[in-house]
Amino acid sequence: MIETKHLRKEFGGKVAVEDLSLTIPRGRVTGLLGLNGAGKTTTIKILATLLRPTSGTVTVGGLDPGNTPHTVRRRINLIAGGERMVYARMTGRENLWYFGQLYDIPGKVLKSRIGELLELVGLTAAAGTRVEQYSRGMTQRLSIARGLINDPDYLLLDEPTLGLDAPIARDLRKVVAELAERGKGVLLTSHYLAEVEQLCEHVYVIGDGRHLAEGSPGELMAQTGCHRRVRITVSELTPEVEAAALAFDDRVRIIPLAESGGGAVERRGARSGPGVVERQRAGSVPDSVERQTAGSVPSSVERRGAGSGPAAVEGAGLGGGIAGRVLTDGGAGDVIRTGAVIELSHPGDVAGALTKAVIAAGGEPSGLEIAEPSLEDAILALSDRSMAVVA
Amino acid sequence: MTVAWATLRRSWLVTRRAYPWSYFVGTLLVGAFTMGLAYLGLRAIGGDQVSAEFAGKAGTADYLGYVAVGAAAYMFVVHGILWTGKAMIQEQREGTLGALVVAPARRLPYLLGFAMFAFTAVAVEVAVLLGFAMLLGVRPAATGVLDAVLALAGLTLAVFGMSVVLSDVMIVAGEAHITQNTVFSAIAILSGFTFPRDYLPEAFRWLGELVPVTPAMDVIRGVFTGGAGLPLDRLGVTVLVSLAYTAAGLLAMPWAERRAMERSY
Repeated sequence: MIETKHLRKEFGGKVAVEDLSLTIPRGRVTGLLGLNGAGKTTTIKILATLLRPTSGTVTVGGLDPGNTPHTVRRRINLIAGGERMVYARMTGRENLWYFGQLYDIPGKVLKSRIGELLELVGLTAAAGTRVEQYSRGMTQRLSIARGLINDPDYLLLDEPTLGLDAPIARDLRKVVAELAERGKGVLLTSHYLAEVEQLCEHVYVIGDGRHLAEGSPGELMAQTGCHRRVRITVSELTPEVEAAALAFDDRVRIIPLAESGGGAVERRGARSGPGVVERQRAGSVPDSVERQTAGSVPSSVERRGAGSGPAAVEGAGLGGGIAGRVLTDGGAGDVIRTGAVIELSHPGDVAGALTKAVIAAGGEPSGLEIAEPSLEDAILALSDRSMAVVA
Repeated sequence: MTVAWATLRRSWLVTRRAYPWSYFVGTLLVGAFTMGLAYLGLRAIGGDQVSAEFAGKAGTADYLGYVAVGAAAYMFVVHGILWTGKAMIQEQREGTLGALVVAPARRLPYLLGFAMFAFTAVAVEVAVLLGFAMLLGVRPAATGVLDAVLALAGLTLAVFGMSVVLSDVMIVAGEAHITQNTVFSAIAILSGFTFPRDYLPEAFRWLGELVPVTPAMDVIRGVFTGGAGLPLDRLGVTVLVSLAYTAAGLLAMPWAERRAMERSY
């Protein structure tokens, strides 16, 4: 395995990596995530023997790259999406042949491997074309083939799908997964978090060069409070439905729907007179109109008049995307009864139970959406925490 | 040697594609211009005569022969350094330095591959220059075949040693233009290519001794200019200084490569 302990790297007076300990075992795709400038590329360059750590230790298969760089280099390879790493005036086949010579791969093995790799990255037809005539995606694919030319035990991937078309990126992900299944150790950094979620069993999150968190993508999301989100849209939010939803879980949020296009939306309470008006600024962000179960009222909501119970909350400006408005005759005056979205972010599988509770209270769901938690949310949350600590 | 041969082949492919005819024409013009200017100077300005002082310091009164040997050697050195010494920074510019460094190939065979290509290409260029010189009546004659081979080997070793060190300097500095032109100007003055070193102040002559092409040029002059023969002591100095340059350059190479990597990340 590749192992780092208390890795530290300074450039001049600037600390790029600080006290970073990682383990990249064989047979697994390990993710390394963080915002720009977090130290991901520096870390990968150290593991690739391109840089030497200021302090701390790195071992690759038990070997110290500082003492035996050439032995370590036979067992690793690096694919960096931001760099070309192949020769422009040579053809694809010539490039792979030359790098094969640099890795001292025997002729017969190299010949068949070049064919396999060209096939793998879809460049067989362009094998005799000079790289300077390749598109960016083709060049990147050749760079990937170059990274596999020595059949490395450990593959370091720094944004490998940058600039690739979706089908090629998908094929590469498949290749990476297969490499891990075949026992290769893979370290992946990528801005495409869906890619990381799909491929990585274990993810390290770093910020400002420091270790922030680690775990499977699911564990990271749970650590940061990112849960599956259930959204039930009801066309009419009655007090009974609202009460039932709020009683289901204290994390339930009620987000009123509004007419698309904005404009001031008003709600007259059933017992309020004509002059009692609840008004809210249109076009405000959803969070500003949400109802929080703790009973707090968003500051942007202006309440006037008495008798406006839970149902007397007006909603507007949900980005103009969803509309739902019901006009009823409440006897004492017109009642504009809007629909709403009942939202719950919860670690458990509560979609069915919450839907049942809403229906039991007389609600009529017109839509049900279950959003899986996002790794992006987790990374942002962790980075925010890191910045808060630094501040 | 696998890496050396592969690099030689790569250099040949790339050079053939990058400079199909323009490079050859440029070389042709340099040879013609250098010898043409020397001929013009001798005939139109010098009145076909050289001073006794020059003849004494140069060891010959054959000015065109002196210029031809110096220009050919200078072309050999400059183009050898341009090919071999700039190989690494060319990788850096092309975005392939990372791919090269992460491979296990050693730098010595890699640079030897470039040197083999460089000296093959330079041999053609020098032949063109000497061809022009011969058209103007120059007849450079070596004191012997073995002397000639040893003298050329010494100059080749000196160029290689300087190239390895310059590779380091260029990738650490991240530029080639200022470095190479400074070196080319310095050796043109200090190393005896264009005029006898005895014209230089003593401090400058000692400064020239720090550069391996200076003793190598003394050997070249001894064999090809004036017929004094192979100066073994100067050949020994050439070999020692050149090997010291080569060793120092190769030892410093990993450090230089890391510095180059640090600058780009």
